[in-house]
Amino acid sequence: MPPEKSDLLQGTLDMLILKIVALGPVHGYGISQRIRQISKDVLQVQQGSLYPALHRLEKRGWLKAEWGESDNGREAKFYGLSPKGRKQLAEEESNWQRLAGAVSEILRARSTEAES
Amino acid sequence: MSQPPKSDRDAQFDRELRFHIDKLIEEKMAAGVPPDEARRQAVLEFGGKAQLTEELRDVYQVRIVESAMRNLRSALRFIRKSPSFSATVIVTLALGIGANTAVFSAIDAILLRPMPFPNGDQLMQLAQYNPKAKSSEPHVAPVRVEDWNRMNSTFQGMTGYFTQDVSETSGDIPEKLTQGLVAPRFFSVWGIPPALGRGFVLDDYLAGRNVVVLSDRLWRRRFAANPNAIGRTLRVEGFTFSIVGVMPASFLFPDRTVDFWSPVLLNPQINQFREATWYTVIGRLKPGVTLAQARADLATVQSQLGKAYPKTDAALAVRIEPLKQLTVGGVGRSLWILFGAVSVLLLIACTNIAALLLARTADRQREIAIRYSLGAARLSIVAQLLTEVLVLALAGSAVALALAGGASTAFRALAKDLPRVDEIVLNGRLLAYTVICAVLTTLLCGLYPALRATRRNLAGSLAQGSRTQVSGRNPVQWLLVGVQVALAVTLLIGAGLLLRSFQALGRVSPGFDADHVLTFRISANWGETGNLNRMQQRVDRELDTLRHVPGVEAAATSLALPGLLWGLPGEFRIVEGAADPNRKIIAMPRLVSAGYFETMRIPVLAGAACSVDRSGGVVVNRRFADVYFAGRTFLGNHLATVPANPYSPPAEIRGIVADAREEGLQREPEPTVYTCYSAPVPSPAIVVRTHGEPMAIAETIRRKIHELEPARSVYDVSPLEEHLHDALGEHRMRTILLTFFALTAVSLACVGLYGTLSYVVSLRRREVGLRLAIGALPGQIVNSFLWEGLRASLLGCAAGLALAALFTRLLSGMLYGVTALDAATFCAVALLMLLTGIVSALVPAAKAARVEPMQVLREE
Repeated sequence: MPPEKSDLLQGTLDMLILKIVALGPVHGYGISQRIRQISKDVLQVQQGSLYPALHRLEKRGWLKAEWGESDNGREAKFYGLSPKGRKQLAEEESNWQRLAGAVSEILRARSTEAES
Repeated sequence: MSQPPKSDRDAQFDRELRFHIDKLIEEKMAAGVPPDEARRQAVLEFGGKAQLTEELRDVYQVRIVESAMRNLRSALRFIRKSPSFSATVIVTLALGIGANTAVFSAIDAILLRPMPFPNGDQLMQLAQYNPKAKSSEPHVAPVRVEDWNRMNSTFQGMTGYFTQDVSETSGDIPEKLTQGLVAPRFFSVWGIPPALGRGFVLDDYLAGRNVVVLSDRLWRRRFAANPNAIGRTLRVEGFTFSIVGVMPASFLFPDRTVDFWSPVLLNPQINQFREATWYTVIGRLKPGVTLAQARADLATVQSQLGKAYPKTDAALAVRIEPLKQLTVGGVGRSLWILFGAVSVLLLIACTNIAALLLARTADRQREIAIRYSLGAARLSIVAQLLTEVLVLALAGSAVALALAGGASTAFRALAKDLPRVDEIVLNGRLLAYTVICAVLTTLLCGLYPALRATRRNLAGSLAQGSRTQVSGRNPVQWLLVGVQVALAVTLLIGAGLLLRSFQALGRVSPGFDADHVLTFRISANWGETGNLNRMQQRVDRELDTLRHVPGVEAAATSLALPGLLWGLPGEFRIVEGAADPNRKIIAMPRLVSAGYFETMRIPVLAGAACSVDRSGGVVVNRRFADVYFAGRTFLGNHLATVPANPYSPPAEIRGIVADAREEGLQREPEPTVYTCYSAPVPSPAIVVRTHGEPMAIAETIRRKIHELEPARSVYDVSPLEEHLHDALGEHRMRTILLTFFALTAVSLACVGLYGTLSYVVSLRRREVGLRLAIGALPGQIVNSFLWEGLRASLLGCAAGLALAALFTRLLSGMLYGVTALDAATFCAVALLMLLTGIVSALVPAAKAARVEPMQVLREE
């Protein structure tokens, strides 16, 4: 499946989810917590976007989900990365790096141009 | 990974979301918010749970109807946008599916559907035969049918019938009608009651009542479908019959020529006569009884009869065949071959469309790339592409169905003797078949192009913005052209072989002269066989009258018309002793009157040819003499039938005549014994040689016979040529249809070649412009494209010849005068295919050379 280029936001959320899940099996609440923590509250994911994205990624086979026990002993749905998801993450990461690199190159070029 | 059921899944959504909310509450409470307030805040922060659940459901739901409608709309838009492409696909498929459905309609009606009677598959035809004799009379004595019916345990009932042509004299002029004389249980065995009035009851038989049941046809013609016809009368052969019933129009058996049925009114003595052979016997099996059980049962019954009546029954055995099989006969093979041909045609049509679709893929790559980038799944794009093809295929099928609707008319025109041809109608089964065809063709021709168009790297590369790429080679497209050519060549060779056979049949010299011969019969009934002498005198008197009609050169009777397959070979014995006593003498028996050889212009080689009637002589043909006498003189010897038959005592061989193809134009003359007997049956076929046009004299003949015998009618009047023409009906049908299908296939293959080459040329306009700009000659451009197209057709031709060499053996037995590997046909077809290939490649190739270099280069 090709990366969904036109929808940057959605594509980005997918990548972020894959990245968090790659760190170890985690439930939906945990994912939203970690994104907030790691981004130092810059990125806040709404539940309304998070859960549909999780289920879409699960349906595509990039995530595998399992019911397990959470730290306080309650049952929660844990998401983990599938081999297919791992490949996808690598692809998206490199795409992102390239894109981000290109964008920052352009931004730099503009500033030097303005200086001269 | 199996999906949990729906309600289960909803519960899981609920658990998962509730867990999240609970964690939020915990979080707030940890920050010191009181529980109730924490809950309120958490729920507020989380947002609409119901809406979210709905969204989650959406993730898993494939909205089939909605997406199908969307696909349909986009397909219709696509079709509107490219009318010429759509029209090409629709016409191609209409031809392919139409031909297929038309042939299937015949196969379904003739071969697949049961006979048009309730539980038609239970109906069997029974015959008697003598396992030791080569010839035997399949018809059965009435008394034996009653025995079988009484003693068997596997049939619900058996009945018998025979037909005769009679004169009905209640009108101004006698009219020939065909009467079916039927044994008890007749209508109940068929399982169809009269539509009006009643059938026959046992009392009708016992009391010998003159009652009739009319056919629907006669009822409409003579009584204008008036229900009051019941109780009125017919006057048949001097007897008055009262009408007790009318059969429905759907009752077409026995013999759709039968006008009315009446109970067998034979005197009891003849009814008890075990040597009688006049019933055709039909039986209805009990439910669940197999053919093998019925055969075993009747074998037991007949062996019991053999003990009870050793003289007449010991040598006989019973043959049982499904009625359908006997009715349909050998027509199945022709139909299946045609079906194979139209299936190949459909395959060509599919290949053709697949190539067209592949060519269009290039135009649609941007569109597909955009859909991908909008997040569409590959499956949904493939579904959309297939929907477009399906819509076109369904449109093609609709046209096809209309074509197939006319098929029964075509079949009737081409071969009116085709069994069950009246049953070919448009019905739900055909509709279903066409729809199945449409779906299959959609998958067959749409799937590969759709999968190819949606290949990821292709779409990906385009998404990155590369524009018109020059695809240098299109191996798949050319492969498809090659396949089309190969299949078309195979069909064309099949058609060519049949055509050459047909031509050869037309050139064959039958050994008799069918030109200027009129044939007809004069009505009579089997009751006349009670006085054979009087019957023969009557026939001779009729012949004498005919010979004196002005314009008549010669006249004769024959039991069967010359040139038509009839009867079975019989066994003979030379009373004086054969050259080789161990060799059985098998020959076709024919019964002809004086003047027959003169009328048919069959040369008499030695001796006399039935010059004196009633003297009991026989004449043999040359082949008989060559095979069984091998050069010995034998005129004056006597021939006797085996087994001996009181009706045909040993007879002197009086003459030898030249060989004639009496049993059919496509059959080599067989050893034949002509017995000189003018009236073997009450209404023998009459052949008359005329000076002028045969039909011109028909009215005069009718009048003369009417003067001689006012109560008799002249019927079945037609030139002999016409009978011979009709006899080749099945052959003609398959030849014409196969030729038509093969030519359609060739046209489709040419369209395919033309289309593919045009597409290749359009793709490479830039390259051509460049080449022209740097000095290439137009001739070189034409040559290179011509060669590209021709290479595919050459390879296709070669493959087609190989395929044909494998498959023409299917036609064996249908070929006459050519072998299945006839070199001339193979060469001619290959040549024809290559020539049409060159012509269809020439146009796009020439167009390529007319490219304006500057214009093309500027376009980029």
